[in-house]
Amino acid sequence: MNEMVRTLEPFEIKDYLRLQLMPHFMCPGCGHGIALRALLWAVHELAIDKNKLAIVSGIGCSGRVGAYIDANTFHTTHGRPLAFATGLKLARPDLTVVVITGDGDCLAIGGNHLIHACRRNLDLTCLMLNNEVYGMTGGQVSPTTSANRLTTTTPGGNAEPTFDACKLAEAAGASFVGREVTRQAMALKNVIRDGIAHPGFSFIEAISDCTEIYGRKNDLGESPEMILSQKSDMRPEAFGNVADEPFRPNRLVTGILAKQARPEYGAAYRDYAVRVKSKPGRPR
Amino acid sequence: MSSPVKSKGARPKTKAGSDTAAEPAGEPVKPARAGGNILIVGVGGQGVLMIAKVVALLAQKQGYQVKQSEVHGMAKRGGIVFSHVRYGPEVWSPTIVKGEADALIALEWAEGLRWLDHLKHEGVFIADTRRIVPPFACRSRKAGAPINYAKETPADIVSRVADGFALDASTIAEGFGDARAANTVLLGVLSASLAYPEADWLEVIEASVPPKSRDINRNAFAAGREWALAARANPTLRFDSSITSYEAPAGLLQPKITLEINAAWCKGCDICVKLCPERCLALNAEQVAVLKSPDACTGCHICEWLCPDFAISIRTSHPEPVTA
Ligand SMILES: Cc1ncc(C[n+]2csc(CCOP(=O)(O)OP(=O)(O)O)c2C)c(N)n1
Ligand code: SF4
Ligand code: SF4
Ligand code: SF4
Ligand SMILES: [Mg+2]
Repeated sequence: MNEMVRTLEPFEIKDYLRLQLMPHFMCPGCGHGIALRALLWAVHELAIDKNKLAIVSGIGCSGRVGAYIDANTFHTTHGRPLAFATGLKLARPDLTVVVITGDGDCLAIGGNHLIHACRRNLDLTCLMLNNEVYGMTGGQVSPTTSANRLTTTTPGGNAEPTFDACKLAEAAGASFVGREVTRQAMALKNVIRDGIAHPGFSFIEAISDCTEIYGRKNDLGESPEMILSQKSDMRPEAFGNVADEPFRPNRLVTGILAKQARPEYGAAYRDYAVRVKSKPGRPR
Repeated sequence: MSSPVKSKGARPKTKAGSDTAAEPAGEPVKPARAGGNILIVGVGGQGVLMIAKVVALLAQKQGYQVKQSEVHGMAKRGGIVFSHVRYGPEVWSPTIVKGEADALIALEWAEGLRWLDHLKHEGVFIADTRRIVPPFACRSRKAGAPINYAKETPADIVSRVADGFALDASTIAEGFGDARAANTVLLGVLSASLAYPEADWLEVIEASVPPKSRDINRNAFAAGREWALAARANPTLRFDSSITSYEAPAGLLQPKITLEINAAWCKGCDICVKLCPERCLALNAEQVAVLKSPDACTGCHICEWLCPDFAISIRTSHPEPVTA
């Protein structure tokens, strides 16, 4: 893979954008833009033909991200991008199918689709942009909102425990699980690249900042402060720990978190289709 | 870094040859009866402690009492490592006082210069001319930028000390298949200044290295010893004269960095401004990012990768080397 990367043309993001839609709609400093760049960079490194790339997204600011990509894009319904993507990949195994979804989209309304997508282990990549909030609808609590954080639906601070989406995906059977912060843009690109290259269901959590809604409401600082604190959170001890109370109270582990060898569902499904069709005496 | 030997030629330049007419040139000199102080310096991973161990074992073998102390805290990161070896009929302190080392052995050039003030006026200075430039010597992170590293050449230093030897031990060792045996080359050089039997040296060296690298080390030792004997006989060989300057060559090939900011896409989020390691960006009155100090930009791409609005693009082009 490195061999190939080195001989490639330099990455020009404009080659992968729908320029007529730019500048994009996202707020100043929104981490989703950084994640989008990392995704396109990964696509470039893998030398995927844009005509063979399908981006399926849900709703929310994260879902909207897909619209800026100059490839085959599907903006689907809330929580269902994985369901659409599953159908697409089964019908068109020649496509590289990447799902872009948010924490609300993927883990709340779409949670059931996520666990079953993980269970099937179809060759899809699910990129979940986790900003701990329902950004687009004005800042409601999500399954990943940290303890005590203020949202429009938790005016006294969030009292619910959170999901660790990566653990959830691994337990449900995803054969590739990774996480990275947008602050480490190159590392994020690498995880996404490896996830797309992985033959099976890849779940990747990108820790992203909702600067305008979540950051503002919780006094997390301006965009630069928010993105810098992603790192202090990863290695709190390196930043004096107590003094700069980390942005996210949990300690994030990043990188490729799990890889398991499991049969890929697309191949199994095609075998099944052949077997069923060839059985005599069966209807159709 | 100031050498106690200030004036050139104030003292006899060599122990051997010049003052002991009875001894044929090129023969090892006699050791001090009272023992010796050997200071070995270098950076992590070079084998400073191996040299110290060999010298200590050798001194023990001659019936001396030996004390050795060392500092190797940052060894793994190329940090400073040094070891004091003191031997004699009776040794109390394990550390060598400034100006009291009989021999200073430097595995890394700048480390050798740093410790020169520990050397006795008539002491032996033995150094590998190979340089390991520490990260903090690279103040400017631009590719091809000059480094803050000792500018003194081997010729400068050898002329400043009474009894100096500066050789490219790493290259000699590479010739035997492993640059890491440079430390043993230096031991060979040292052996020519201390009149202990060659067989004793080889015995302790073999006991101190892994069995599979014995041959390499034996060859490295012999090469160092041979080089030193020749250099004692002919002082022009005492330093590596191929190195005439450690100054950064003028007009190093600096890549050309072009940073473009697409003002129409910039939303003034300030991320690039605050995260640029060189602080070369700023927001103008319209809250649009501008490159305020282009000369400081290293082309590291951080601003480009972290701009959520793809407003920055960096291109670096490497000029073709000019053949003089
Ligand atoms: C069926 C349905 N219910 C509700 C909505 C309203 N809605 C739009 S975006 C959104 C939340 C998205 O949150 P998340 O997935 O975290 O994305 P973000 O905006 O934070 O990136 C909701 C509930 C909708 N579009 N469709
Ligand atoms: S609302 Fe939040 S997530 Fe949505 S674009 Fe703005 S900053 Fe980004
Ligand atoms: S990071 Fe991008 S959008 Fe933000 S100020 Fe810099 S150039 Fe403008
Ligand atoms: S490339 Fe960008 S971040 Fe890097 S030094 Fe230049 S302006 Fe600063
Ligand atoms: Mg969200």
